[in-house]
Amino acid sequence: VHSLQELRRSASLATKVFVQRDYSDGTTCQFQTKFPPELESRIERQLFEETVKTLNGFYAEAEKIGGSSYLEGCLACATAYFIFLCMETHYEKVLKKISKYIQEQNEKIYAPRGLLLTDPLERGMRVIEISIYEDRCSSGSSSSGSSSSSSGGGGAG
Amino acid sequence: MPAASGKRFKPSKYVPVSAAAIFLVGATTLFFAFTCPGLSLYISPVIPVYNAVVFLFVLANFSMATFMDPGIFPRAEEDEDKEDDFRAPLYKTVEIKGIQVRMKWCATCRFYRPPRCSHCSPFTTSSPHQQEFDHHCPWVNNCIGRRNYRYFFLFLLSLTTHIMGVFGFGLLYVLYQVEELSGVRMAVTMVVMCVAGLFFIPVAGLTGFHVVLVARGRTTNEQVTGKFRGGVNPFTNGCCKNVSRVLCSSPAPRYLGRPKAEQTVLVRPPFLRPEVSDGQITVKIMDNGIQTELKRTKSKGSLEVTESQSADAEPPPPPKPDLSRYTGLRTHLTLATNEDSSLLGKDSPPTPTMYKYRPGYSSSSSSAALPHSTSAKLSRVNSLKEPNSICEGSRKPSYRSEPSLEPESFRSPTFGKSFHFDPLSSGSRSSSLKSAQGTGFEMGHLQSIRSEGTTSTSYKSLVNQTRNGSLSYDSLLTPSDSPDFESVQAGPEPDPPVGYTSPFLSARIAQQRETDLHGRFAGVVSPKHAPPREPSPVRYDNLSRHIVASIQEREKLLQQPPAPGREEDAGLADSGIQSTPGSSNAPRTSSSSDDSKRSPLGKNPLTRPAPPRFGKPEPPSVLRARSLGSPDQPAAPHLGKSVSYSSQKPASQAGVPEAEEVALQPLLAPKDEVQMRTAYSKSNGQPKSLGSAPPGPGQAPLGSPTRGGVKKVSGVGGTTYEISV
Repeated sequence: VHSLQELRRSASLATKVFVQRDYSDGTTCQFQTKFPPELESRIERQLFEETVKTLNGFYAEAEKIGGSSYLEGCLACATAYFIFLCMETHYEKVLKKISKYIQEQNEKIYAPRGLLLTDPLERGMRVIEISIYEDRCSSGSSSSGSSSSSSGGGGAG
Repeated sequence: MPAASGKRFKPSKYVPVSAAAIFLVGATTLFFAFTCPGLSLYISPVIPVYNAVVFLFVLANFSMATFMDPGIFPRAEEDEDKEDDFRAPLYKTVEIKGIQVRMKWCATCRFYRPPRCSHCSPFTTSSPHQQEFDHHCPWVNNCIGRRNYRYFFLFLLSLTTHIMGVFGFGLLYVLYQVEELSGVRMAVTMVVMCVAGLFFIPVAGLTGFHVVLVARGRTTNEQVTGKFRGGVNPFTNGCCKNVSRVLCSSPAPRYLGRPKAEQTVLVRPPFLRPEVSDGQITVKIMDNGIQTELKRTKSKGSLEVTESQSADAEPPPPPKPDLSRYTGLRTHLTLATNEDSSLLGKDSPPTPTMYKYRPGYSSSSSSAALPHSTSAKLSRVNSLKEPNSICEGSRKPSYRSEPSLEPESFRSPTFGKSFHFDPLSSGSRSSSLKSAQGTGFEMGHLQSIRSEGTTSTSYKSLVNQTRNGSLSYDSLLTPSDSPDFESVQAGPEPDPPVGYTSPFLSARIAQQRETDLHGRFAGVVSPKHAPPREPSPVRYDNLSRHIVASIQEREKLLQQPPAPGREEDAGLADSGIQSTPGSSNAPRTSSSSDDSKRSPLGKNPLTRPAPPRFGKPEPPSVLRARSLGSPDQPAAPHLGKSVSYSSQKPASQAGVPEAEEVALQPLLAPKDEVQMRTAYSKSNGQPKSLGSAPPGPGQAPLGSPTRGGVKKVSGVGGTTYEISV
């Protein structure tokens, strides 16, 4: 990925934090809002929590069972699901929104702090992966040290 | 079916789905062709239309159930399981609506299975993890999971309806004798009716089964495996909600085969940092269960810098160890590391205390201590990387000159560990090695393991000092080395090369140190090399024997004419002790002799049955026995303690534990280490005094008794590992 190359030129990936799913409410897609300790010095707690809460809200909306999803189902049945060839499902629409939101968050909040959110969809909605970058100039060898020693300490699960 | 063939076409698995398709389509076609015209003519034209609609529905759902991905999880990337790999247990418990649900680690996919996820049972090895796995349906030749369960369910419903319709209308056709009974149409209709009737029973049964499942909010998998036999299902939301969830929810997205989003956001330094309110920052080494709060502000980066600064006196670290090497040794880190972490851990993060540990990652069935220790181990290993950078500016880069006996892998962990201890200790420790003396001293008192570690550290540096890689101590005696040596020996070295190397190293270092210390006065420099090494399952054995031998030799030399020393040396040699140069023995012996002199027991050091200290001019047999772990030789522990010369405490030699030990560095008593170190420092203070006997209680460091067939070797720094003999 060429943009990743650029990333590497400017900053080095130090470690990754994984925000795990919150299963307390069943299998609905929710993520833990617990603040990972690795981010302690990188981002304000409430910014992070706000991001996760918003994401959770999005996922709840995607999985919502309501009028629109019911109608969609009926329509799909009626057309023998050919409608799926033309139309996006409700879930997919929300996923697009989520992806946009994550992109925006990355641009505005996380990248300036040397962090990057990865869309959970890429990980099968199991984790939110947050990549932590080190300032290559100042950290030097220590970044490699940090990446080795604090290997992904995040997902406390 | 075996997955060995990979993607080879397996016709057998297509049989059921083909049969199902053939029957379905064929029978329906026949029905339409033969029965429907008559029916539409004589009864109603709506019938074929209705049947057509139903049939279309059946086909659509059948196709969706067949071709839709059930919700396959992509495999976890490497980074994700790093934290889990070595210390995470087999199970992780989450609470779902108040009910504890266990998530099992999936080695194939490298993540903990989300609730309700599973591999497809008939094709476990080849199929990936699926979300809300229901079952594998051979009739559609697909696994049914979260995404396509609705279609499968609707397929069943519609198929049942269809079968009922076909059968019913066929019956109508026959009964009403719309046309002549013996006609082709009649025959075909009868056939179709038979087929329909035949299939109706299993299909209806399955449909009814799934209706119940949907109402209960369970998957087939859960029902069949009896997970919720007790009646408590955390995944149910009530009958109505369950049904609506299956039928009315928006289709879930697929995870695989998605176009990967380009990462267009650039991350460029400088980075914003939040304000750090308090000045405490936990050491980033968290995954090993050891957390230290250092009174340093700034980010982790600065923390590292600080650490590097503090440890600049350390010798250059060994090449980074291969983590895989530690895998096997992980299990060996039992008490020692446990102790370690407990001693060190200001706040050891709770290791996931699960019941089992993943096979391959934890060989022992110990409690949470093991992951703790392994994590500690890991942290040490990890911390190696820091010392790598940190120790660059340390003393001479004599690291390479380590004895060839030492395996590379051993070096690193010990080194790392030593470093690890350094900053983790009360900060004051973080000063350079040279200053370790005083601090290490205190450290030792405070934390036995640390003291051990430091001891070994010092030894290590001592070894590093030697330029040659061979097991010779000549260089130690050179004046150039001595200053450093002195300073090093002044206090316990801060970086204990604990771990695998430690026994080896420390013994050597001890030897060297002894040699250096006393060599000058003793004037015996020539290392008495290599008595024939006895084959031993444990390499450390030899080393310790060397050390003991050398020490004793030295002592002898100091006290007596060389001849006896020779004898001793020979004796040692025949005990298989590696050549410890007499010189190295000498200081030892001298100190030990001092000790022995002072010892209230007043035993003849040589004859002491269980001389824990090197210093004592033990009879070779003693040494021999010990190093081999033979019962009658306290020599082994003695050797182990040889690292700390000072620990020559004859009195305290209970001897028994040591006798049993192979231990080069018996885990025994951190206390002993401390004392040994104390003694050592004392000896340092009086280089000339042969036996500045370490007051030490600590001579009996070596001790843990050998269990049957298993020797407990405690490495420098308190790591204990058991070696089966």
